[in-house]
Amino acid sequence: MKFEEIELSGFGKFPKAMCKVTRPPGIFNLMEILKQSSVIPRGLGRSYGDASLNDTGIVTESILMNRFISFDEETGIVRCEAGVTYKDLLDTFVIRGWFPAVTPGTKYVTMGGAIASDVHGKNHHNVGSFSTFVISFKILIASGEILECSRTENSNLFWATVGGMGLTGFILEAEIQLKKITSPYLTNRSLKLRNMDELFDKLEEFDKDYHYSVAWMDIVASGKKYGRNVLLLGNHEENDTLPDKLKLRSAKKYIEKKISVPFEVPFATLNKLSITLFNSAFYLAAKNKVEHVHYDKYFYPLDFILNWNHIYSKSGLIQYQLNVPEDKGKEAIDKILKKVVSFGGGSFLAVLKKMGNQDGILSFPFKGYTLSMDFPVKKGVIQMCRELDEIVLDYGGRNYLTKDSILDEKTFKQMYSGLWEKWMEIKIKYDPKNKFTSNMARRIGLCPF
Amino acid sequence: MSLLVLGANSLIAQAAASHFAEAGHEIIFGGRKQDEPEKYANDFSIRYKVKCSAEYIDALDYPTHKKFIEDVLAKTPELDYVLIVFGYLGTQEKAQVDFTEAHRIIDTNFTGVVSVCELLAAEFETRKKGNIAVISSVAGDRGRQSNYMYGSAKGGLSVYLSGLRNRLFKSGVNVLTIKPGFVNTPMTYGMPLPKLLVASPEKVGKDIYKAMKKRKSVIYTPFFWWWIMNIITSIPEFIFKKLKL
Repeated sequence: MKFEEIELSGFGKFPKAMCKVTRPPGIFNLMEILKQSSVIPRGLGRSYGDASLNDTGIVTESILMNRFISFDEETGIVRCEAGVTYKDLLDTFVIRGWFPAVTPGTKYVTMGGAIASDVHGKNHHNVGSFSTFVISFKILIASGEILECSRTENSNLFWATVGGMGLTGFILEAEIQLKKITSPYLTNRSLKLRNMDELFDKLEEFDKDYHYSVAWMDIVASGKKYGRNVLLLGNHEENDTLPDKLKLRSAKKYIEKKISVPFEVPFATLNKLSITLFNSAFYLAAKNKVEHVHYDKYFYPLDFILNWNHIYSKSGLIQYQLNVPEDKGKEAIDKILKKVVSFGGGSFLAVLKKMGNQDGILSFPFKGYTLSMDFPVKKGVIQMCRELDEIVLDYGGRNYLTKDSILDEKTFKQMYSGLWEKWMEIKIKYDPKNKFTSNMARRIGLCPF
Repeated sequence: MSLLVLGANSLIAQAAASHFAEAGHEIIFGGRKQDEPEKYANDFSIRYKVKCSAEYIDALDYPTHKKFIEDVLAKTPELDYVLIVFGYLGTQEKAQVDFTEAHRIIDTNFTGVVSVCELLAAEFETRKKGNIAVISSVAGDRGRQSNYMYGSAKGGLSVYLSGLRNRLFKSGVNVLTIKPGFVNTPMTYGMPLPKLLVASPEKVGKDIYKAMKKRKSVIYTPFFWWWIMNIITSIPEFIFKKLKL
């Protein structure tokens, strides 16, 4: 078994830790890894904080275990190994009329990672998160046994693994239901809104008409401009209604073009001026319009710039994503936004969207509203986040573990009260010696002892 | 049109094969049983909707090679392209004190490939067409203390391929020698390599596909290794022997 000792981090580049990493090509090697003191599975490292770091044991990357096993053209059910990515799914199946039913904002996510984070997309309020479309998966647990999990078979392990941050075992294979589409294009409707009242009204109004919805909020503007935002609504486009030019294009395999931020910029490019300019520019450039947008641009605008996280310089960024209940949701979001604005923003836009309920025990979403922001790591930011935690807790909300890097055990357990205890019972049953653990698990107390 | 890949679990081979598959070629994955070539065949048939199959072959089990080639030809009589990526890096220090390691390095990188190539050469020579591409290495251009076991096996391989190319030219069969530099694969995983010089398997795979289609003789991939190796091979021996390379 080959190891690489490197300073590892999540996508936020904060925190960092020296980790012993391995990249096995098959199950045989995983059995070897189980003999090590502890391990955390890692996909492409797109979780932001320390969820895929483990500085007291091994980090095992799944990316070489990325083969498709079967695909049913009739039903759209695909079975694949855990290292298969959204990019693989899109490159293979869009041309055949199938699309991931739930997708996060980047396609550089593995199926194993998508299950462990129970990722959600712009359609959460309508269809729920990724696990809704996970029919079953095969998992290697600490004892060396391989179990098939579904809603009917080993269902407790199924619900503990979905959103379980990789702490229940190695996901080996998954069976996933894809969604039928007739074109790779989406109809995108942009609405430029002046404040949060307008936004919450429109969210209600268009809830049923649009499969996807998300709002980009200006997080710097204060005074009269406070809360201004652009609401983006979308539906998959039918091939019949596309202009001829796009019909032709959609029949061909899509080839993406990319640029890259090749290295970490040596200084903080994100200062008050650039952030203000960016937030204003986004709002001012937006128009009320309806357009055809290719899925790649619609779902993965940031993937166009590889390593965009490099603009946050060496110190990295904190992603802060919270969910608050629907009842008093607007009030909570307003309080949070005001706090951030008073702090001077600090974020490239904030993303707000409506969420629905979810079954995974530690799955992040529940019926309400989610707000996601990123802040460069600098003086005062962590303190501000702690103050945000207070507001989130007051309103009965919680934070997304996949984005988190700073929650402490007490706050986490308050946020996931009643849930983490339930999860722990299953963890103890399948991994009593805590073989699967991470820096995050130790930080927030997701350990049996 | 079809491609036979020997060394199914190689990322470079998979990357090169993906271009053939996208162009509609049938792919036959050959590999050791434990490397599960059938899984790659299955994956490719789903990804690219082309006919794919798997056959078992162990580079070191020479007596079985004849039967292997016969089986492949029975399956795809019109075999056009063969890409051989068998290889074993081994450990230089271990090979210096343990001859079994040295033997394995030489046999996997050289003897095993020669065995298969001769069988293919005989077939292609009669047919008067075909393409054989083999992965050698820049390490074979000059022996260095840090990996001369691997380097000499690859160096021998490069010389062998040069001769084979010369022999098969008149029969219209092309032989391509591929000399990759550092590539980010399980073979180099964990090694402290200069990041700027490490290429992705995708880049190398694409170079190989293009070179095979254009019936080239020798390629360095990425191309800048041609410059690097030109410099390295032109250093006079009385200086070179003193260097820590």
